[in-house]
Amino acid sequence: MKAVVIIVLLLLPYTAFGAETIQSSSGPHTKHYEQSLFKMTEKDMFSAEMVLKDKDLKVGVNTIDLIVHDKNDKDVVGATVTVAPWMPEMGHGVFEKPVVIERGGGLYSVENIILIMGGRWELRIKVKKDNAEDSVTFEFPDVKSSKTQPQNEHKMLHSAAANVDTSTVRSSAKKLFKISYSSESGPVPIGRIISWKLRVAAADGRPVKNAEISISGDMPEHGHGLPTQPEVTNGMEDGDYIVHGLKFSMPGWWVITFKVKARDMADTVTFNLLVQ
Amino acid sequence: MLCHVNAVSTWAAETDSNAWSKADISVLRSLWIGSLLPLPKDPSNAFADNPMARDLGKQLFFDTSFSGNLKVSCATCHRPDMNFTDDLPLAHGMGSTTRRSMPLLGVAYSAWFFWDGRKDSLWSQALGPLESNVEHGFTRTACAYLISRNYRGEYEAIFGKLPDITKAVASPVTEEIAVLKTWACMTPDKRDDVNRIYANMGKALAAYVRTIVPGPSRFDKYVEALLNNDMSDLSGILTAREVNGLRLFIGKAKCTNCHNGPLFTNSDFHNTGVPAPAKLPSDKGRADGIRKVLSDEFNCLGRYSDALPQECVELRFLDTDTAKYIGAFKTPTLRNVAERAPYMHAGQFTVLKEVLQFYRHSESRELGHSELSDEEISELEAFLRTLSGPVAIREL
Repeated sequence: MKAVVIIVLLLLPYTAFGAETIQSSSGPHTKHYEQSLFKMTEKDMFSAEMVLKDKDLKVGVNTIDLIVHDKNDKDVVGATVTVAPWMPEMGHGVFEKPVVIERGGGLYSVENIILIMGGRWELRIKVKKDNAEDSVTFEFPDVKSSKTQPQNEHKMLHSAAANVDTSTVRSSAKKLFKISYSSESGPVPIGRIISWKLRVAAADGRPVKNAEISISGDMPEHGHGLPTQPEVTNGMEDGDYIVHGLKFSMPGWWVITFKVKARDMADTVTFNLLVQ
Repeated sequence: MLCHVNAVSTWAAETDSNAWSKADISVLRSLWIGSLLPLPKDPSNAFADNPMARDLGKQLFFDTSFSGNLKVSCATCHRPDMNFTDDLPLAHGMGSTTRRSMPLLGVAYSAWFFWDGRKDSLWSQALGPLESNVEHGFTRTACAYLISRNYRGEYEAIFGKLPDITKAVASPVTEEIAVLKTWACMTPDKRDDVNRIYANMGKALAAYVRTIVPGPSRFDKYVEALLNNDMSDLSGILTAREVNGLRLFIGKAKCTNCHNGPLFTNSDFHNTGVPAPAKLPSDKGRADGIRKVLSDEFNCLGRYSDALPQECVELRFLDTDTAKYIGAFKTPTLRNVAERAPYMHAGQFTVLKEVLQFYRHSESRELGHSELSDEEISELEAFLRTLSGPVAIREL
């Protein structure tokens, strides 16, 4: 019952905005938002409506909402949705996979879309529900200004870095874990191998033992990552872990992502650091 | 009246040019030579800070008898009168190599050695050129023999009794089949004896090279005065143009992304897109360096290293994704850079201005600086010239 109430509440804002009806070969489809992007998937199995939090994608960390309906315009619940950013002209994507969280009622939030440079980007979306699988690509021809306006670009990158949340305590993307880190040698130095202490707790605050944790690091403004391959091992206390072999080779904005697997739960947490 | 106005505005401009924000001053302090930490310990070399090893290393550094033509020593390419490097685009020993001689100033602060980081210690680095046919053109067996003949007393005082060493020309890293064959025919014990003497020779050389560090430059005097709040003579230490260049260096030109810390290097590896010289074979740089250091018998985890395995953190956590490092080379120190032409890993540029123009016109979003004016490029160059100082030999 509770779940039904939440779904109804979640859908309220969408219906309240005066939904528009889009005709496609498979029939009429509801578009909830005026400024959203709307597309049918390639085989017309689903419709995908994309709501951009900041009206456009930008270089840096982005979050979007996706509303997925089936060909009968019914909400698609429990689908596997993947989102892959791709730069067709450069032939590469991103280091970090976006995290898709189902909110219910056909709504999927996509967090951690880290676009590492300006230019033409695509968001390639796959939707899989039971035996139905289809994909759709949304195109963004000019994510931020490129070489023609280097000043703007610098400003934009600078503001992206200036606005990031650098707290050392974060909840994981699906709120399964609460994770904090501390640098064992004080402020993060440049060019020296250091260790971090990591504390992993479940949502109820109890320490999480024997988790499998992997780490990756990125500099979103530069498009490259850590110069080392760190390892995470168990610490002294329950829920404590040591990250060995971290090294930051440049000053600036770093994004450190931990993938945590424990008690049949898997989630991702991202920390931002401004290394001086 | 006009003269008076000009004088006031010049004074104002000078005052402004030496005004730095708190954040700027913290960056300047990080670049200042006073921030250089004591020499890092090298756990793989138990003799790194041994004065007798340093003295032996110094003798070996200048000894031309450790070469195929009796003319090449370490000092041939690392000339004390040239900041311990040379002035050639490509290093030249017995023959010509494919890369520029590296500067040795403050080199002991690095984790990786050579342009491609194919060595993980200074002592292991010192062994490479001895057996290169275009550098010393020598062999490790001949090195061991010469040590036993010419340096027995010094060696044994540091490393203990020498085993019996016979005269031989043998090496496992040579293209000469006969030399390789002689090595293969030696017993494992004899090979180990030779390797150990060879490694110890490297450790002595490293103990000497460790002491070669940069001395204070005009830039350091400027920062020191600033940190001491001694504003009286700042414009007597650096000119307004040099200060403008410094401001660009730590600001708009973003040079400190890679050239940071008191040695002006992050000691990391980057592909900057610098054009490869036409006549040289393709050079994968760090990508090959990673493969080489992992399989090097003289690395930190090898049997000739004095380190405990857990002390070999750089090797243990080395990023082995070689694809990311194709064409990447080590960021060199900028200390004494103006005294060290030509530039880049294969001496591609003959003067500093060419290096700055290369970065200015780079297509890379990270490196390109089309917004910098001709005047700003000149100011950056003027600033780089303030980084020249004496070569210092650090006492143990």
